[in-house]
Amino acid sequence: MDEVLRFANSAPVWIFASIVVAIVIFQAVVFIRIATQTAPNIGMTKDETKRALRTGFISSLGPSFGIAIVIISLIAVLGGPFTLMRIGIIGSAATELTAAGIGANAYGVDLNSPDFGLKAFTTVVWTMCLGGTGWLIFTALATKSLGKVEKKIVSKNAKMMTIVSTAAMLGAFAYLASQQMVKGYSESVAAIVAGLSMMFILSFARKREIRWLQEWALGISLVIALTVSYLTTLI
Amino acid sequence: MTVPTKAGVTEVNIEVKQSAMGMQGFHSKADFWGQSTLWMLIVMSFVPPIYFSFILGYHPGWGAIIGGLIGYAAFIGIMWFLEPITYYPVLGKSGTYIAFLTGNIANMCMPCSAAAQESVGADPGTKKAEIAGTLGIAVASLTNIVVVIAVVLSGSYILTIIPQSVQNALQFILPAIYGGVLGQFALKKPLYGLVAFVIGMAVLFAPIFSLIKIVLCVAITIAVVLFLEKSKGSVSE
Repeated sequence: MDEVLRFANSAPVWIFASIVVAIVIFQAVVFIRIATQTAPNIGMTKDETKRALRTGFISSLGPSFGIAIVIISLIAVLGGPFTLMRIGIIGSAATELTAAGIGANAYGVDLNSPDFGLKAFTTVVWTMCLGGTGWLIFTALATKSLGKVEKKIVSKNAKMMTIVSTAAMLGAFAYLASQQMVKGYSESVAAIVAGLSMMFILSFARKREIRWLQEWALGISLVIALTVSYLTTLI
Repeated sequence: MTVPTKAGVTEVNIEVKQSAMGMQGFHSKADFWGQSTLWMLIVMSFVPPIYFSFILGYHPGWGAIIGGLIGYAAFIGIMWFLEPITYYPVLGKSGTYIAFLTGNIANMCMPCSAAAQESVGADPGTKKAEIAGTLGIAVASLTNIVVVIAVVLSGSYILTIIPQSVQNALQFILPAIYGGVLGQFALKKPLYGLVAFVIGMAVLFAPIFSLIKIVLCVAITIAVVLFLEKSKGSVSE
């Protein structure tokens, strides 16, 4: 296992990880650029562009730290650079851990068995790296066509897309929230408190026209929900 | 003298073209950059396994590799196709390219997209929503990669600075994010929020293959909401 981690943390692997990270950063910067250039032509003011960027940043802090806590468990198994590669791109900690387990089993060992050697690790690397490309390949090939379908719907009825988008969002998050809520009492409290805080903050901010509060709404709701649900574990 | 003038003229032309970039131009640029960054990453995905197998020489044999991939495909392979399609109406074209490259779609990209849209008062599915959402997701992708780099480089040191109580509280981050986003949309459409939640719970407890449950929930919610809108007469064919 020590030998595995020595190779997993070697310089070439760090270089691969750096290239992957560079692609992720490059893509984000390119899309911020082209979106910012397009914004004025579809009636978005400079101020609104800045507001969207700021809100994205504030809202991503909570999720990012949530992800950070989870990846510690992956570093122990995969080493630093592979964790960076797998979480920096498509994938969640749970999926990747399962994938690692599947790869190790395909070689005939368990992930944390003393027999887990470099060949088993190589099988894990193949499984995770190529398994993850499934999403990438499909997205690269199909997104353009999905755009055409969207265009057709919008050209028929512009309001249709708003309804479909809203319904899709509600459906996805209703399911995700339900799934978490049945896990336990504190999880239910977290979801309900966050939902209510969000409703309260947004309607308050809208009524009084407090712009900055709208930007902070998700961030503040997360902090309130985490605090309250943490307190329920102490009782 | 002529050469610099010419260069100046072309530059002005380019600038005019760029400033006139409408949604059409945005979408073709998004296709180009989205696809090229995805293909770059696909190529990069082959490098580490090839390095371990053939440069370091720890090739485990194709049997084990194919076995691992089949196991992976059986475990989650259906999501390769279903997830991009299911989330497309929420993420839009450019959002899809970013979200599927950077990952953490439900727990980070979609909430940040929705929050950014809300902050500029854009209705989902509109042009403004797509641009605002793209900005939100792209910034989130950057923030996330910076945080992840910091954690990986510092190892577990970062965990020693964050107090234990905060770490314990962070275990509830997922229900909080999902509940918060649901609240945001339920505020706009309380009835549909309730409908979606009932469908969500029903699907959750239904005895079906668990991976496709979210897809099913999205599909049923879209169908029910469209039906309700149609019977109200606001969507006419």
